[in-house]
Amino acid sequence: MQDRVERMSIEDEIALEVVSVDKRFGSVHALSNVSMRFRRGRVTALLGENGAGKSTLIRVCSGVHQPDSGEVLVSGKAERMSGSLAAKRMGIAVVQQEPQLVSQMTVAENIFLARLGSRAGTGLHHRTGLVGEAETLLAGLGLDKELPDLGGRCAGLSAAERQLVEIARALAADPHVLFLDEPNSSLTRKETDRLFDIVRRLRDRGTAVVLVSHRLGEVYEISDEVIVMRDGRKVGEGSVDALPKQQAIQLMAGERLKAALDLAESATPKASPADAAPVLSVRDASGLAFSNVSFDIQAGEIVGMAGLVGSGRTEIIRAIIGADPLFGGDVRLNGKSVRFGSPRSALRGGIAFITEERRTSVFYGHSISFNLTSNVLERFGHFGFFSERKRRAFAQESANEIGVKADNVDVGIRTLSGGNQQKVLLARALASNPSLLILDEPTRGVDVRTKADMYRQIRTLAHEKGLAVWFVSSELDEILQLADRIVVVRGGEVVDSLARGPEAARVVASALGEKIEDAATTVLTSGMA
Amino acid sequence: MMNKGNRMSIASLKRLPLLRGQEAGLIGVILGLSIAFSFVNPSFLTTDNLRNVLVAVAVVGIMSIGQCFVIIAREIDLSVGSVMGLSGLCGAWLMAAGLNPWLAIVLAIGVGATAGLVTGLIVVVFRVNSFIATLGMLSVARGLTQVISGGLPIMVDPSVMFIGQGTFFDIPVQVLIFVGLGIICQFILTRSVVGQRIVAVGDNDEAARLSGIPINTTRIAVFVASGALAAIAGIVYTTQVSVAEAQAGTGLELDVIAAVVIGGASLSGGRGSILGAMLGAYLLGALRNAFILLELSPFLQQMSVGMVIVLAAIFDQFRQGSFRHANVMPSFLHIFRSRTR
Repeated sequence: MQDRVERMSIEDEIALEVVSVDKRFGSVHALSNVSMRFRRGRVTALLGENGAGKSTLIRVCSGVHQPDSGEVLVSGKAERMSGSLAAKRMGIAVVQQEPQLVSQMTVAENIFLARLGSRAGTGLHHRTGLVGEAETLLAGLGLDKELPDLGGRCAGLSAAERQLVEIARALAADPHVLFLDEPNSSLTRKETDRLFDIVRRLRDRGTAVVLVSHRLGEVYEISDEVIVMRDGRKVGEGSVDALPKQQAIQLMAGERLKAALDLAESATPKASPADAAPVLSVRDASGLAFSNVSFDIQAGEIVGMAGLVGSGRTEIIRAIIGADPLFGGDVRLNGKSVRFGSPRSALRGGIAFITEERRTSVFYGHSISFNLTSNVLERFGHFGFFSERKRRAFAQESANEIGVKADNVDVGIRTLSGGNQQKVLLARALASNPSLLILDEPTRGVDVRTKADMYRQIRTLAHEKGLAVWFVSSELDEILQLADRIVVVRGGEVVDSLARGPEAARVVASALGEKIEDAATTVLTSGMA
Repeated sequence: MMNKGNRMSIASLKRLPLLRGQEAGLIGVILGLSIAFSFVNPSFLTTDNLRNVLVAVAVVGIMSIGQCFVIIAREIDLSVGSVMGLSGLCGAWLMAAGLNPWLAIVLAIGVGATAGLVTGLIVVVFRVNSFIATLGMLSVARGLTQVISGGLPIMVDPSVMFIGQGTFFDIPVQVLIFVGLGIICQFILTRSVVGQRIVAVGDNDEAARLSGIPINTTRIAVFVASGALAAIAGIVYTTQVSVAEAQAGTGLELDVIAAVVIGGASLSGGRGSILGAMLGAYLLGALRNAFILLELSPFLQQMSVGMVIVLAAIFDQFRQGSFRHANVMPSFLHIFRSRTR
């Protein structure tokens, strides 16, 4: 009896609930049968690796996407949200990872962007009035001291300030449910503390706060409840006490972390002849966000570069391939000193690369064949013309070789899953017969099975065909599974370089997260014991 | 043996661009309209009239071939009408100055290509939006034309007038030029490295850059092609009317862009076909012709042309199934309901 009363009161507290929601994008099952509740006056942490479905869930809850099946209940009522505006009306606000501000408007105008000019009758708004209104609002939230000049334009704000404006804007609508998608990825520790103060105040006022973040340490400081997602499913949920950090990490990574550790343990570092000249040799290189970087890559070797986002990994790649300037240092490719002025010349010099962001690499309007052969067309004919037949045959052959799942190569690349698109890009990179292959986050947003498949492909390429592979990743298990040698980058400098093995696991784990460190190492050491 | 041959021909038929996409729809629309018009006025579907339409279409058609390259590369060229006028006038002026007429024609085409080169360099080097750069070129070229001509018409050398007036096996020479250039350029677009680079740059220029495509050279190339083709159109037009005058080609850029869009090219780049642009130009010409034969008001003609352009774009969106705001209707209904509540 008492039990039932308690249940009733808990149900009253539920601000937002999703019930067996399914969402597919083409062949990707982004959410499968996901049910969860977010309670008033609680901070719920939504955890999961990239591609686990967190962002899709937020989009479904905020009306950006419609679920294929299942429903979203707002305060216990099933609602069909036709767009983010409708969601806002129901009291659901989202703070995006990348603040979307109108840079030519003032801070106050940005905060009230949604209802500018909705003052009765006129389409005009008063700048000065808005500033006053914003002050009142922010004072009520206790935010008034933190925000920059309310009458100033947003163009000159720092990343952290922009983030605060974005949050203030979300709060201006007085939401019942507030989603924070990686709100602290661009904030320092001190700024994060201030953000968490605000979150606590909101929680105490009865708002349901949903926090998505990769910094587990910080997440656990503030959350009341934890929900873990993996591959589009909910794999765990509970209060912070019932679901401690270590367990959450294990749930997030699934069996993969353990598999990675087994592999790391059993691995015998591949001995490469010491006297062979390295394929790529970088000495004292410096560029936009790095300096004094030196490392070698041998033929047949997979070098993994570990480091957090912003540690300078991507900048090193971009400088080597000529997409960004290289300020100084010596780069040798197959023994010859080179300095590439553009990606085109790097490609001609024998370096193929796949960038971090798939959307800057794929020709979305075209077929697999077009995408795969875009830089080797000369090969299929003479005098600037090519034979469509030869091109198709080549594309078909390399697509089969790399295991792209599609009926044929005339299929539009848009219809493929992210993993298969990535495979097409890999095939394109290999089409130019490079001596060095550079991969920046090679499996971002790629499902588990395709990941394993790609690891196998890359290993074959290196260990059997003698290709030198250099990849960058912020995923611990990826580095541990794939790399023969690991180079750790922090703050734009190479801080460590070691062969694969149990020792490497610990070092890399500590390099990949200051806050994740203790938890991850615990898992790692316990896994090894 | 026979069987195999059949199968192959069916397979290759399916791969023909004719039977895919916008072109198929366009051919259907053109055939349907032609048959409908011929019921009202039987002279519409005669060989003579067909020839008239093609002759009328050739100038815009040739320019739309060049424009098609530009639009596929996600740029736009507003200067084609002016460059056409400038080149035609330069040709006539050089002939009048006593130059060999053929050399004059080559130089005139060079003038058009140079105008395109200048536009291309401005777009690539100074990163000026091509809409602005070519808007500038539109004015500059027209002004230059008036400076050179002094406002007076210049006669064309009779030895080259056959380009605009002659026939070859009963087919007007300019129609042969139009169709010939179209076939060559369609081939360049789909079967040459340059053509595929243009498509790649238009679809995703960052991806094109990172996959080693010389995107700046490619961009300049499309403007040069557009300029050169506008010049050829200028020669055809000048020889057709026997006289070069400073106002030739004024306002034609709109027809040219319309033809390309009707032909299924996307203004957001990466997609389009020369054949489609040619058919688009033909459809516009046929409509104009029909309105004259049916003795309808020229104002109605202007309206219908406008509607065809927009309808073609809507049809294209349907065909791609890419209505981005698929839930527009429910949202409208929602707003309507909340207002009336």
